[in-house]
Amino acid sequence: MTFNAGTSRVTGTDADVALAASGDSSAFERIYRTHVARVHSLARRMLGPGEADEVTQDVFVRTWQKLHTFRGDAAFTTWLHRLAVNVVIERRRTYAVQRDRITDDPAALERITVPPARADLSVTFDQAIEQLPAGAREIFVLHDVEGYKHREIAALLDITSGTSKRQLHRARMLLRRRLGAL
Amino acid sequence: MTMHEHTEWTDKLSDYLDGELSDQEQRAVAAHVAGCVECSQALHELRGVVERARTLVPVEPPGDLWKAVANRIAVESERPVATFGTRRRFSFTWPELIAASILLVLVSGWAALRMNRPSSADLQVRQPGSTDLQVRQPGSADLQAGPDVVPASVDDTEYDAAVADLQRALQSGRGQLDPATVKIVEQNLAIIDQAVDDARRALAQDPANADLSGYLQETKRRKLDLLRHAAALAEDLN
Repeated sequence: MTFNAGTSRVTGTDADVALAASGDSSAFERIYRTHVARVHSLARRMLGPGEADEVTQDVFVRTWQKLHTFRGDAAFTTWLHRLAVNVVIERRRTYAVQRDRITDDPAALERITVPPARADLSVTFDQAIEQLPAGAREIFVLHDVEGYKHREIAALLDITSGTSKRQLHRARMLLRRRLGAL
Repeated sequence: MTMHEHTEWTDKLSDYLDGELSDQEQRAVAAHVAGCVECSQALHELRGVVERARTLVPVEPPGDLWKAVANRIAVESERPVATFGTRRRFSFTWPELIAASILLVLVSGWAALRMNRPSSADLQVRQPGSTDLQVRQPGSADLQAGPDVVPASVDDTEYDAAVADLQRALQSGRGQLDPATVKIVEQNLAIIDQAVDDARRALAQDPANADLSGYLQETKRRKLDLLRHAAALAEDLN
């Protein structure tokens, strides 16, 4: 998995992490400011805009609670990102979406295809991702946007690597049509 | 080639693109794509999707979420945060109350173990400091802190007076609280009272035991904290 955000502030982040772990809320606010865009984008792409704000809050509250467990074995950005992914996945499970999301949905292709006359109306790639079926969207974001491997996704979502591959291909095939219209 | 046979090829394009196929399959797909305009076009478009995904940049949320995060953290960590700029609000949730019960049982268990150990005359007796200024770890590290943490000294007279005041406040606002919440608060208070009594009895037999003294002060502080929270909750609901 790759994670590039925030690397320009490694030294500052490390110091802020230590301060925040000792209870310094100002340091934690700086951590929040550095990483909120990354976390919010992850939540929005995986869950949709309706839940992104609340889940982002959940992620940072959880981060505050867990900061004392951060040992520095990995980069803080990687640690935070994994925590964020776990919170997002927990949210999906909470709403019992999990059981329905890894299914083939023949109607998905039709839903994501817009009439040619409307294709140029502020339809961004991000919006196209948000219109993917939930299961395909989740795996596409984890694999192609966030850089997770299929075996990592399989472990996170409790599915097989084969299912992860099929859903990824499905998402890409749906998006390639949209990409041509962007 | 039938449509079904062609779909079998297109279904492999993502795995081919990611290098997930065996060497033999990679070569077979490459050979097919070289001679198939449709698959070649599809592969080109899939590659475009992947490249587009890799260039997506994080986008700031439409509104500033920090204030909401800060308020939640203030409640979670049970301490005011200077930069929040808002009145601290207390709330009791079922998980918090249950967690408090579990924590108290664990602390009581720890104390019981300590009580059964010989007096530690060689332990350094430390002067209690003020926990009002003590910085707590996120995630409540009370148990992790262990016996080296010096708890606040709560004088018995002041303690009893504070408890009485808070209990009066709680009693006056009792009607505002959910009965289930009242029941859990009372159960927690009973556990704390039992722990305080146990610690006092043990300390009477071993007055030099610094661990016991610290445990007693910490337990008394917990009772005050719980009463303050419950009273504040009742006041907020009033």
